[in-house]
Amino acid sequence: MEQLVCMESTSQKVNRAFEDPVLIKDNRVLQNLLLTEDKYVPPACYFNCVQTDIQPYMRKMVAEWMAEVCAEQNMEEEVFPLSMNYLDRFLCVQNIHRTRLQCLGAACMFLASKLKESYHVSAEQLVIYTDRSISITDLREMESLILHVLKWDLSAVTPYDFLVQIVSRLPLDAAHVATVKKHAQTFMALCATDCKFMLYPPSMVAAGCIGAAIRGLLGNSFDYSLIERLHKVTGIEVDCLRACQELVEQMVKTSLSSLAQESQPETPTKTHPMKEQSTTPTDVRDINLMAVDIENSFIIA
Amino acid sequence: MQKYEKLEKIGEGTYGTVFKAKNRETHEIVALKRVRLDDDDEGVPSSALREICLLKELKHKNIVRLHDVLHSERKLTLVFEYCDQDLKKYFDTCNGEIDPDTVKSFMYQLLRGLDFCHSNNVLHRDLKPQNLLINKNGELKLADFGLARAFGIPVRFYSAEVVTLWYRPPDVLFGAKMYSTSIDMWSAGCIFAELANAGRPLFPGLTQLPNYRMFPMYHVTTTWQQVVPKLNSKGRDLLQCLLVCCPADRMSADEALQHSYFNDLPPSARHL
Repeated sequence: MEQLVCMESTSQKVNRAFEDPVLIKDNRVLQNLLLTEDKYVPPACYFNCVQTDIQPYMRKMVAEWMAEVCAEQNMEEEVFPLSMNYLDRFLCVQNIHRTRLQCLGAACMFLASKLKESYHVSAEQLVIYTDRSISITDLREMESLILHVLKWDLSAVTPYDFLVQIVSRLPLDAAHVATVKKHAQTFMALCATDCKFMLYPPSMVAAGCIGAAIRGLLGNSFDYSLIERLHKVTGIEVDCLRACQELVEQMVKTSLSSLAQESQPETPTKTHPMKEQSTTPTDVRDINLMAVDIENSFIIA
Repeated sequence: MQKYEKLEKIGEGTYGTVFKAKNRETHEIVALKRVRLDDDDEGVPSSALREICLLKELKHKNIVRLHDVLHSERKLTLVFEYCDQDLKKYFDTCNGEIDPDTVKSFMYQLLRGLDFCHSNNVLHRDLKPQNLLINKNGELKLADFGLARAFGIPVRFYSAEVVTLWYRPPDVLFGAKMYSTSIDMWSAGCIFAELANAGRPLFPGLTQLPNYRMFPMYHVTTTWQQVVPKLNSKGRDLLQCLLVCCPADRMSADEALQHSYFNDLPPSARHL
């Protein structure tokens, strides 16, 4: 009994599990993730082939709404990218009209939340977020349709599954690990809203985001070839990794500059007193917040 | 339900009724787990959802096989491979006597199933004799994945969510946030001791904090030999490696499978 240490803290911070060395050190876990991920990548870009009405800008709109709902409900970080995976895979198969896209997005979050959270978001809450434009019955029917279309294959692999696996295999300074993870998570959320990354395997998106986070934080000042390391860990070709990382950096740059334009009159510290409590970096406001973090350190080449 | 002919009710799972049934075409015997969906605003229960999509990924001889899912508006039916009984019922029929080779074989299969889950990033989180199914030919399979979870990034922690009390590790009882494979390993240790004692639970009647009592049933001077008198010294060593209070020092499933206790495992058991 004397080995027990009480890990409870008196602060209001959310109690989180430690990273499990058994899962991280076991190479089989990473290999199994790499083997499984392809099964869950959307097979095609559905605009103009399956979908007759849905356009890329509509996907972006619903994605941003979903990201906001996930952040507002303080959902687990994985819920948002997972629900985007369901949405894209559904749209690869079933043609729907734009008026049902929000219902689809809500039902995807409903499912992802049930899968990943101890207490999932309620149907009523999601209906409220749609401004009651859908009913609980609509949501339940859509849930059934998604399960049918996706054949119940919901334990999809997302870039988040690779985050700890990859970062723990890089020779990073312990002081940087937390920041690299935080930045990479934010980039992953941004990738989920951007349809350019839709067909990329999650491991590649993860490597791209981690690479971009490290380069942003440390410049080129580390004494090893980052891309080479990422290649060794994930087995992905160096050229693909480089291209993906550049795409991530470009995306971050674009969203930072558009956010900078939007938020000029505001002082970020005052408008976001909730920063410490937020656990979901997918909120656009968080990305805004991140801009402060990143601008100090992020050297965009 | 036209495809299957219901034969008898087997029991109540965590979220539905389980029936023994026969496939009318192939005459294959299956287990049907039926979940009613009507009048529930929350749609498909999360436990059913998790069980289905995790079991679709986890195909292993020591994990119960999910054959099919039948989904109608009013109910959801999960079609599983049929197993003769669960470990709890097995204990009831064994008259306080399980031979050491069977204990070893069951434990080996439990660890192998668990190792497969963990290597696939899945935590079971509710291991207990009722959730381990046994076949006539001595096969053991992990079942009831309603509380299981794929481990992505460290999750927020709610101890109330996991593991039946008797099989819940002390670190979790005391509110620690180590929330991972080590939980399953403690449960496996409890089940190992229960197997070795032919069905006598190791920590029965364990109560929730603050009335936590765990050791009144074992005096401080109790030796492992007294706790599991029928287990040989290698077995006792393995048990001690699993029932380590500090979760970080608890043995993993992969390591446990390599333990010398299993050196003389009959080849027939290794291939079960």
